[in-house]
Amino acid sequence: MNASDRMLVGQFIERDSAVHRLDPRIKIIGLLLLMIVIMMMDSRSGYAAATVVVLIILLLSKIPLGFYFRGLLPLLPVLILTLLYHTTLGKGQTLLVSYGFLHITVEGILEGVRIVWRILLMILAASALTGTTRPLVLAQGLETLLKPLSKLRVPVEQFSLMIVIAIRFIPTILEEIQRIRLARRARGFEPSNRNPFSRLTEFIPILVPLLVSTARRADNLTFAIEARAYGDGRGRTIFRPLRLTKPDLAAGCLILLSIAILLVIDLHLSNTRI
Amino acid sequence: MVNRMKKTVIARQSGWELRDICVELGGTPVLRHIDLRLEPGSWTSLIGKTGAGKSTLVRLIKGLIPEFTGEYRLAGEPIARDRKGRVRVVPEIGFVFQYPEHQIFETTVEKELSFALRMRGDSSKEIAMAIRAILPVFGLREEILHQSPLLLSGGQKRRLAIASVLIANPGLLILDEPTAALDPVSRRELLRVLRAWQRGGLHGERRTVLFISHRIEDVAEYSDRVALLHEGHLLAHETADDLFLQRNDLLIQSGMPLPEAIELLRLTEHLSGRTVSPSSCGEADVLDQVKEAWNARKENRRNGR
Amino acid sequence: MLVFDQVGYYYRRGQEVVKEVSFTIQKGEFISIVGGNGSGKSTLAKLMNGLLLAKQGSVALGEQATSDPDQARDVRQTIGLVFQNPEDQFITTNVTDEIVFGLENIRVPPEQIGGRVQDALRATGLERYADAAPHELSGGQKQRAAVAAVIAMQPQFIVFDEATSMLDPEGRNELIKLMRDLHAQGITIIQITHHMDEVLASRRVLLLDQGKLAFDGPTDRFFREVPLEPYGLERPFAVRIGQQLGWSGEATADWKGRAASQWSIE
Repeated sequence: MNASDRMLVGQFIERDSAVHRLDPRIKIIGLLLLMIVIMMMDSRSGYAAATVVVLIILLLSKIPLGFYFRGLLPLLPVLILTLLYHTTLGKGQTLLVSYGFLHITVEGILEGVRIVWRILLMILAASALTGTTRPLVLAQGLETLLKPLSKLRVPVEQFSLMIVIAIRFIPTILEEIQRIRLARRARGFEPSNRNPFSRLTEFIPILVPLLVSTARRADNLTFAIEARAYGDGRGRTIFRPLRLTKPDLAAGCLILLSIAILLVIDLHLSNTRI
Repeated sequence: MVNRMKKTVIARQSGWELRDICVELGGTPVLRHIDLRLEPGSWTSLIGKTGAGKSTLVRLIKGLIPEFTGEYRLAGEPIARDRKGRVRVVPEIGFVFQYPEHQIFETTVEKELSFALRMRGDSSKEIAMAIRAILPVFGLREEILHQSPLLLSGGQKRRLAIASVLIANPGLLILDEPTAALDPVSRRELLRVLRAWQRGGLHGERRTVLFISHRIEDVAEYSDRVALLHEGHLLAHETADDLFLQRNDLLIQSGMPLPEAIELLRLTEHLSGRTVSPSSCGEADVLDQVKEAWNARKENRRNGR
Repeated sequence: MLVFDQVGYYYRRGQEVVKEVSFTIQKGEFISIVGGNGSGKSTLAKLMNGLLLAKQGSVALGEQATSDPDQARDVRQTIGLVFQNPEDQFITTNVTDEIVFGLENIRVPPEQIGGRVQDALRATGLERYADAAPHELSGGQKQRAAVAAVIAMQPQFIVFDEATSMLDPEGRNELIKLMRDLHAQGITIIQITHHMDEVLASRRVLLLDQGKLAFDGPTDRFFREVPLEPYGLERPFAVRIGQQLGWSGEATADWKGRAASQWSIE
């Protein structure tokens, strides 16, 4: 029943691992670079190498792999839709089936698989970041990285508070969804959980009360934040400032190196373009 | 359709019965060997500290907890389970969750009220009649039918949400703290409406109510029977009078407060040294007896002991 | 000293929720603000520390008006607020961070923050829950964490805006006991409630009716003189029986906040 048991993306898991101890700024930059590389990825060996890198990160985090994969379950409908979209509307010559506006081609299928694979890798990498970094530390890392932007009047501090709040309210909102679904079922609504499409239609009426209650929460929260003298977030002191240590820098170099290797594998060692 | 009606009638006559029910959630036992039969036409209150298993028990009765051991009998027959051994939501039961106004999801008051009826396939004529009948009971005006529920006041929203459950005329109504965060007068008013409905106000036939409340005074005032849960065990299932007047040691044992009137009764017995025996645990009855005891004592003192 | 002078407030023009309200709260008081649902109590709470700014009249803390944006941080630090819904005021992801948040906002030097956090945890009995996430806490514990976050900022006033109304009896008892402890330490407590037995803990009552101040006086006079039903309220049990049995004396609340009485019986 506990929503936090099911909710995984964005949840911090306490472990004693090198990934946990790493400075958040290095993790964020590393993730960013990794994502860019994954997006650029073009070859079979590139995909394989990136998969290995992501798996290594997951293993190093000492968080059970099951946790990461269970986190993907709620995203399954979206992934399936993406796959279907590319498979049925894909372009390409090698036609397998054609019916009306549906053209299933080998290229289309490959394109779908590629895109879904990329999304999967990126989500896993991102949950490795949130799984190993306390939300507040994560926000602090982002804030320091984005600090130069505040000279351009970008509200960097408020952005970082926003992230903390977003992560904090994920379990609350999931619980709320659960409650509304139960209330609907209690009034005679029978969900048919056979296919993902009908599950999507079930979700729409839930959105209304969810939005209303989220708006109410947002209102209350604004008061709560103001009542504790947040102001515009500027000039706050920092209880535990971030410090880059030697191991952090070493790990940073390691990450850069492995990303460079990834690029090399993708661009040069490969002649098997998919 | 006919079958459903038949089953409904039997359920209303023979009630809901749990035999040796156990539930585990995430490996910890939440309900242990519960035997409970809800008397048709009675108002049963379910009490216990937070975490005693109250919500799990009511959700189980509604069929929202698929996995349990033991037997759940509805209308004298074991409740139907599907191939996986899961139960289906029991439609004959209305369920008002905590803060029901937060679960309103339709775009107009009318749609919200008719949701349950539409789900079971009533005709639009039946629906219109049912709506017209229930509005005045909850002090709602017909003009608001086409408004968005969002525009209603907090109290109106609460009443609308409860009316949307009662409109289906459930044989058993489960109320999970329906009066939370209401001021005292609104609380009394809502309980009065629910009581009148239970006594057959709207449909001419007594209904069964299962009521969860933290306000022990309301429990003493309104219940026919009280079920006391403690750490997953059903410690007592007795009439309110028996529990509050005779067996209040059970309440103390499970960390529950006594109704204030009963505390006063105990205090009076302790201070005056005489037994005070009101006819019921209702506040008025207790107060009458307490008054009598004190007046008698005053009289004695005045007459030189 | 908190001074309301002819204060008015509306969310929509023409629909005033607070009208011409004037009163003064001295340091060290324990005061209740009561009224039925929708009487304007919560708006009044938010006017106290400038979360809402009066549309008419003025609110002042000592010499300084709470409407002055330059003073906002000082005002917020002086008057802490605990709200009704335990879920909607937990901003960060664990209890310690929650306390740290306010301290960083009021620019407490980092080296003092650790100590203040420890003190606040101790005062609210949450030492064991320093690293707990909000979904691991009961409602009562969440409310105590909210109190911890407020007292770490060392306020002179704390306003409890129906802070007990969503709690179970146990959580409610804990919070009421905490209020009394804080009052004993010299903090001014302003509680907004419609639980009348909680009112017995206070020495003075302000009654709001449709945005207007309908009563301002000592608690015992409030229960003696004001008919409560028209305002959506009811007399606490201890007061009712005392009056019915013709006892003299005063009703108070015991530490659990349940009505008790100190009536002289004969």
